[in-house]
Amino acid sequence: MRRSALTTALTFTLPLWAFLALLLFPFYWMLVTAVRPNKELYNLSLNQLWTMHPTWQHFQKLLFATHFRPWLGNTMVIAVGATTVALSCSVLAAYALQRLRFRGSGVLGVAIFLSYLVPPVILFIPLARIINELGLWDRPAALILTYPTFLIPFATWLLMGYFRSIPAELEDCARIDGATRLQVLRHITLPLALPGILSALIFSFTLSWNEYLYALVFLSSTESKTIPVGLATELITGDVFQWGPLMAGALLGSVPVALIYSFFVEHYVAGLTGALKE
Amino acid sequence: MAGIEVTAPARATRPADLIGRILENRHALGVLMVTPALLILAIFLAYPFGLGVWLGFTNATIGQAGHFVGLGNFRYLLGDSVFRLVVLNTTLYAAAAVVCKLLLGLLLALLVNREFRGKRIVRAIMLLPWIVPTSLSALVFYWIYDPTFSVITWTLRRIGLAHGFINYLGDPNLARASLIAANIWRGIPFFAIGLLAGLQTVSTTLYEAAEIDGAGPWQKFWFVTWPLLLPLTVVVTVFSTIMTVGDFQLIWIITRGGPANATHLFGTLAYQRAIQGGFIGEGAAISAFVLPVLVAAVLVSFHYLRRE
Amino acid sequence: MQPEDRERTAGGLTRRRFLQAGVAGLTGLALSSVNGWLKQAAAQLPPGSYNPQLQLSFPVEPGASLRILRWSQFVSTDQPEYERMAQQFTRRTGVPVRLEYEAWPDVQPKAAAAANVGAGPDIVLGFFDEPHLWPDKLVPVTDLAEYLGRKYGGWFPVAPQYGYSNQVGQWIGVPIGAPGSCLNYRMSWVKEAGFDPDPASFPKTTDEFLRLCRALKTRGHPTGFALGKAVGDANTWCHWLLWTFGAHAVAPDSKTITLNTPETVNALEYGRQLFETMIPGVAGWLDPNNNRAFLAGEVALTNNGISIYFAAKNDFPEIAADMNHAVYPQGSAGRPTELHLFSQAYVFKYTKYPNAAKEFLRFMMEDPQYPRWINAMLGYVSHPLRVFNNLAVWRSDPKAVPFRDAVARMLPHSYQGTPGPKSARALSEFVIVDMVADALTGRRSVREAILAAEARLKRIYEA
Repeated sequence: MRRSALTTALTFTLPLWAFLALLLFPFYWMLVTAVRPNKELYNLSLNQLWTMHPTWQHFQKLLFATHFRPWLGNTMVIAVGATTVALSCSVLAAYALQRLRFRGSGVLGVAIFLSYLVPPVILFIPLARIINELGLWDRPAALILTYPTFLIPFATWLLMGYFRSIPAELEDCARIDGATRLQVLRHITLPLALPGILSALIFSFTLSWNEYLYALVFLSSTESKTIPVGLATELITGDVFQWGPLMAGALLGSVPVALIYSFFVEHYVAGLTGALKE
Repeated sequence: MAGIEVTAPARATRPADLIGRILENRHALGVLMVTPALLILAIFLAYPFGLGVWLGFTNATIGQAGHFVGLGNFRYLLGDSVFRLVVLNTTLYAAAAVVCKLLLGLLLALLVNREFRGKRIVRAIMLLPWIVPTSLSALVFYWIYDPTFSVITWTLRRIGLAHGFINYLGDPNLARASLIAANIWRGIPFFAIGLLAGLQTVSTTLYEAAEIDGAGPWQKFWFVTWPLLLPLTVVVTVFSTIMTVGDFQLIWIITRGGPANATHLFGTLAYQRAIQGGFIGEGAAISAFVLPVLVAAVLVSFHYLRRE
Repeated sequence: MQPEDRERTAGGLTRRRFLQAGVAGLTGLALSSVNGWLKQAAAQLPPGSYNPQLQLSFPVEPGASLRILRWSQFVSTDQPEYERMAQQFTRRTGVPVRLEYEAWPDVQPKAAAAANVGAGPDIVLGFFDEPHLWPDKLVPVTDLAEYLGRKYGGWFPVAPQYGYSNQVGQWIGVPIGAPGSCLNYRMSWVKEAGFDPDPASFPKTTDEFLRLCRALKTRGHPTGFALGKAVGDANTWCHWLLWTFGAHAVAPDSKTITLNTPETVNALEYGRQLFETMIPGVAGWLDPNNNRAFLAGEVALTNNGISIYFAAKNDFPEIAADMNHAVYPQGSAGRPTELHLFSQAYVFKYTKYPNAAKEFLRFMMEDPQYPRWINAMLGYVSHPLRVFNNLAVWRSDPKAVPFRDAVARMLPHSYQGTPGPKSARALSEFVIVDMVADALTGRRSVREAILAAEARLKRIYEA
């Protein structure tokens, strides 16, 4: 019995704690920096791993002296919007490619997947012209419509896998009962595919939340920015980084997504699992 | 099951008009359903991408449209020592980071693929590095790697493991390693969660059968888990490789490609030359260089998958 | 450009009579028509030092409105003052102004996208030779630039080099000034090292400077100069190092590469000696690193804008009291050869309101607006027009004085050539910084470093 406890410690508890320490350390660092007064920030003789006199001043500055709150709202609107667009497109496309197997679906599937390979760094200049011609400049819609380009390929691939795991017999039964194809999708397949959709949703939401380059180029006015771009604009003043508010922003900017994740992480895993079942 | 009940009112409602017939035609409906996705990809990806590739064959600058120069940019790049260094950097960066992410991600997935107290919270923590906007986590690493103020150096000195300063970002190889480590930190969740999902598809009866045959933990992993996990591993690795090769923000914030171009990747070099230097044609060509390599990698891996 | 469009009689003067009025002003003749506005101006600048009676204004298009993209502030007093001035402009002309800020390295990608798309902000405040990347997409501002030069005692020599485009034959940018870079040092430690801490007696020659650095180092106070891809700090001091020994990258024809000379070898050999006095890790330094190292007391001497001093005044008064600024010493070139982050404003041709845009720039560059702005920034930006030597800020704090003449002392980064796409590229690729870093850190021998940089410059300039 004692030996197995030791084995558990060595093969499970210890490595797990090591991993947690590794993954959490940067967050810990953000936290101690976010509450550290500027005076302590530059003093190497103090304990670097702990903040002696924690202060809320950086959070206060972030929330009341910058545009953080509107940025939070924008980022939310854009992430929700882009995720909605991407998921709607992906669900339809994945279902068509996986279940309908229409003429040309094989080629299209590969094409959608390959579109994931195109690097955004070279897209944004030509893309800027298109955004402008469509009159989307400095509007959330510019990002809501462009983010799906890197969300759809992965989401479609994930959902195709998930649809595959749902027994076709269920749909066939409904078809025999006279349901249209769209009714089958809506009433049979979608409810069953919910975990898979949830996984795709979380994936899409995170990437939209974090995107930098398009947000930098396509949005202009201070109030319409997203969190990653806005923080860099207002809190990096020349060669002085305002570390406290920046780190406070990194923490507060991650909290909404982290909350969503902690509620859904099991569904996310389950959704992926479903997508992988052959 | 809820889905079955609602089929009752649907009975015999299948319409017979033209629209109804189209919606019932497998091919027509299929095309209709992929149209939204294709439209978005065509307008916001394929079209600008086409323009981008075209730029790669011109000597366009930011101000001027330029004219067709054939393979001029590509020939120039092949002879450019910086570009060749970037090919090397990217290969090294992607290979080292992806392999480590795969190993660590797999290890983490195996660790948490069991019942234990706090499972949910641990699994949520696993995802955290992926949630923080990269632009901000990169700033954290930039500071952690500061030659004077690094908290790592400070701790090592405190416990007596180091004496001087550590030049994380000033020495070419150390800078590469530091950036790879930051990339690994950010990328572990993608592998861990993906592979965890894969592990849960492995039926416990297979393990029980293996145990009856007298297999130890290592044999169970090697002969049961790994073969079943392999197809998924290939897919996750391919996605991660694409993301790693295309990495931009992390490098740009921490080193801007320095010291002496030792950490430039395709993305950062393309950005520097096309946007900062103004030579869009050449920047586009740099990006275009990556594409055939990636496409080949993807096709080979999928071919391999299908054979499996 | 039709002069008739731009002309408007103001104060009884037409544009054609600029020159005469300019001469009259210099002789201090016309002091009669002093209105309230001029009184205000006189409060900022001593009378007679410029030509207040010279006037120019651009007829603002009806219904005009402006979008302005500029770098976000280096010091927290910048944006509020700039916004206040913009509101004043709106009240005076009825032209609404929308200000958009980006972190300063992000201005160029946005401007690039705008130039390429043909839509975006009407005015951009950018850096270095940005306007020369897209000269034919810009509204010529020759009239405005010449007017400002005449009125305010003339531009420093570097201003026309950045503002004027040979390709177009016009001014395409209005110089705003430059966040200057000076040597920042701790007075007590300099004194400890046996040198006079007064900025007036700070080492004037590179030899004496090296002696100071060595003395500091032996007393446990290293120096620190960025050698990573620090757009500001690394570029400024590496170019100074090269130029002050009489070396340069390119000939005045902007074609011939002139890097491989004994002067360059001298510069790099000197740099190697200087490198021995530096703190470990400078090879990876970006712009913020030296601020932190200096404020933490890890280095006694570095090169930077006034931002360290500004931060010290807020959070570390004891360091603010103990630090001072000095001008870069001179090597065999025997004259100031500095580089600073030169900023200028340019107007895109796609704007529907070119006159409103020029009127805005005129308003912002004029007394009393410009002096107020510079004063508010505590001298973070050094002026490009001679008359502003007299600004209050340059008298209020003696520690800001070395920054006063930054623009007067600087050369364009394209030296000896003229700014353009090629020099933009050489700068963005850090050719000079990498050469200096290679040679100083010993990654390459001096000779190899020069040859590698020469090869890259040749590709850039001959492409």
